[in-house]
Amino acid sequence: MNNVQTGSFGKRYLTMRADKLRYDWAKAKRMKVCYLFLAPYAILFFTFFILPICTSIFYSFTYYNILEAPRFVGFQNYINLVLQDDVFLTSIKNTFVIAVITGPVGYILSFMFAWFINELPKWLRAIAVVIFYAPSIAGNAYSIFSILFRGDAYGYLNSMLLNLGFIDAPILWLTDPRYIMPVLIVVILWMSMGTGFLSFVAGFQGIDKSMYEAGYVDGIRNRWQELYYITLPSMKPMLLFGAVMSITSAFNVCDVPRALAGYPSTDYAARTIVTHLFDYGFSRFEMGYASAIATLLFLVMILCKKFISAALEKVGT
Amino acid sequence: MSEIKKIQSKGTLLIDRKKVKGTMVAGDTSASFVDNKGNTLAQFAYSNLKTLRNTRHGGMSSTVNVTLTNGTGYSFMLVDGLKIYNTIDKNWVDKPVRAYSRAEELRRLAELRGEKVQTVKKHLVKRRHPNRSVAGDIGIYFLLAVVALAMAFPLIFAVGSALKPLDELFRFPPTVLPQHPTLDNFSDLLVTMGQSWVPFSRYLTNTVLITFLGTFGHLIIASMAAFVLAKYDFPGGRLFFNVVVTALMFSGYVTGIPNYVIMSKLHMIDTYWALLLPAFAAPIGLFMMKQFMEGLPTALIEAAHIDGASEFRIFWSIVMPNVKPAWLTVIIFSVQSLWNNSAATIIYSEAKKTLVYALQQIQAGGIARTGQAAAVTVVVMAIPIIIFVLSQSQILETMASSGIKD
Repeated sequence: MNNVQTGSFGKRYLTMRADKLRYDWAKAKRMKVCYLFLAPYAILFFTFFILPICTSIFYSFTYYNILEAPRFVGFQNYINLVLQDDVFLTSIKNTFVIAVITGPVGYILSFMFAWFINELPKWLRAIAVVIFYAPSIAGNAYSIFSILFRGDAYGYLNSMLLNLGFIDAPILWLTDPRYIMPVLIVVILWMSMGTGFLSFVAGFQGIDKSMYEAGYVDGIRNRWQELYYITLPSMKPMLLFGAVMSITSAFNVCDVPRALAGYPSTDYAARTIVTHLFDYGFSRFEMGYASAIATLLFLVMILCKKFISAALEKVGT
Repeated sequence: MSEIKKIQSKGTLLIDRKKVKGTMVAGDTSASFVDNKGNTLAQFAYSNLKTLRNTRHGGMSSTVNVTLTNGTGYSFMLVDGLKIYNTIDKNWVDKPVRAYSRAEELRRLAELRGEKVQTVKKHLVKRRHPNRSVAGDIGIYFLLAVVALAMAFPLIFAVGSALKPLDELFRFPPTVLPQHPTLDNFSDLLVTMGQSWVPFSRYLTNTVLITFLGTFGHLIIASMAAFVLAKYDFPGGRLFFNVVVTALMFSGYVTGIPNYVIMSKLHMIDTYWALLLPAFAAPIGLFMMKQFMEGLPTALIEAAHIDGASEFRIFWSIVMPNVKPAWLTVIIFSVQSLWNNSAATIIYSEAKKTLVYALQQIQAGGIARTGQAAAVTVVVMAIPIIIFVLSQSQILETMASSGIKD
């Protein structure tokens, strides 16, 4: 009896799926002009964004140096990464220190300053947005930090500290392993007011101001309550967008350490996952190994995004 | 009943499709339009008023449409503000007529046609409201001032260094601003570039060409895709967009290695295609465009359909002109990434190298090139910042719809 029922249910389910497919197919045929519009983008997007991820996963199980055909090695790359490669472990540690500090802090700072800037009068707001956003679009302007943090007495920070009498010999900010990470974190935070920040600024301006008036009538008495009960819930989409942007930048730190701390840096103190990947991919041409690093990094970022969108669900409730 | 002050607002009146400049004066019983010579061109008593509609165009200009009970209609275009009072209400309300934004107006038209309207973008309104303490305001201003100074300092330092003569660059203690500003570093830069094997102009042409073509192609291709994703519900469309949102997280590095392999298979290494084609498909541009296009009323497109316009015509002459703010946003993101792309790994020929690559070589020249390196930094950072300053308000208007709805 039971069997018959599930059987018929299964059959019904299958016919339903088939109907749905037929319906979709008919609809797709009717709307084929949509696919025409999408095609140029979709083809390029597939070739340069989807295909690379797939090949990256494939190559991560092979030994591949571009010249010879890839040779299947199973999980060997991953095993080597975790068990043999000390530098990789250093790079994981560094990346996580950078990501954990600059990711959330940069995100919260972006939001906070966007909130503060929103309180300014219009003309002042425009200037403030440019000042805060400029570092992240200023190309390789971060290279100026190599002068500010220069290791000799002509470096700006050193000379200031020397003059004030805090130190009696210049500090090698960018070559001493003890100081590299803090310096990098400062520079990356400086650049963290990026696209997410802009999205927040715009999000604040787009909130219906009558909601604040209504909130006032309902007994909201200060800006913190206003932030939590009105602003945050109406900005959830921007918050998620900002989070995606800051995960991306926090895990993909590469240019800044390469430009400031050198490549390779002293004792690998500024090695990040991406500089490690870069080293294996473009200096040693061990594409299989580099792909394994890329795959791991990618997995971590996807997990992070899932985690954050789950956390944002709870905001303001 | 409160006393109403005389309200004036400069603007134009449309008479037989001719525009006449003048002033709109709203008194307590009637309003009139007076031209610059003092002649009254139009007058209406509030008691004769049937409808009054104030539509905002963005910025401070607005159109006031007045219909009188006898059927006469006036259309005033006010340039400074929305200063006309609502008197249709029996209980004389002492507050300006509610201004309708362009989006709301489009929505109203759509509703008249019986179309169900999708989300309409809220206009960026200036916000003033209670719940603010003076101490908090002072704290915020102070904090912002301090942090803004810290944010701007490295950039100011970069500009200062670029203007310093050689002796000041190595003065102890170092200064932020040059005492004797000079453009020597920039002219030295030109000399150095002129002596290089490939002339400076070549690098510049390369970068400008790549930036221009890449941005243009990206704008067209991404807008086409964004248009159908935003306005049509077709099988697979939503799935595709979700994949694009995830792809926002693929940085150039994660995809760099396999991309290199794919490009070498396609024989694109050392050609500009290797830079241009991925730039055409940048996810961020499609994302911004699609989110902004969702705010366009569907009625606009349906109406064009009924008039018999082809999809491409709708896209080109109806949708694209209406999303100009989004263009600028797509352009700045694209320019920013292309302009700063040194393409070190995919372009080998010296004659095809980009400006940023050449400049980085000079920057790597060590102590002797410190001044020139600072000049390089200023040259590279100037372009994206200038574009952003010029298009800030439109970019923010676009970013208002940038959120990800999960």
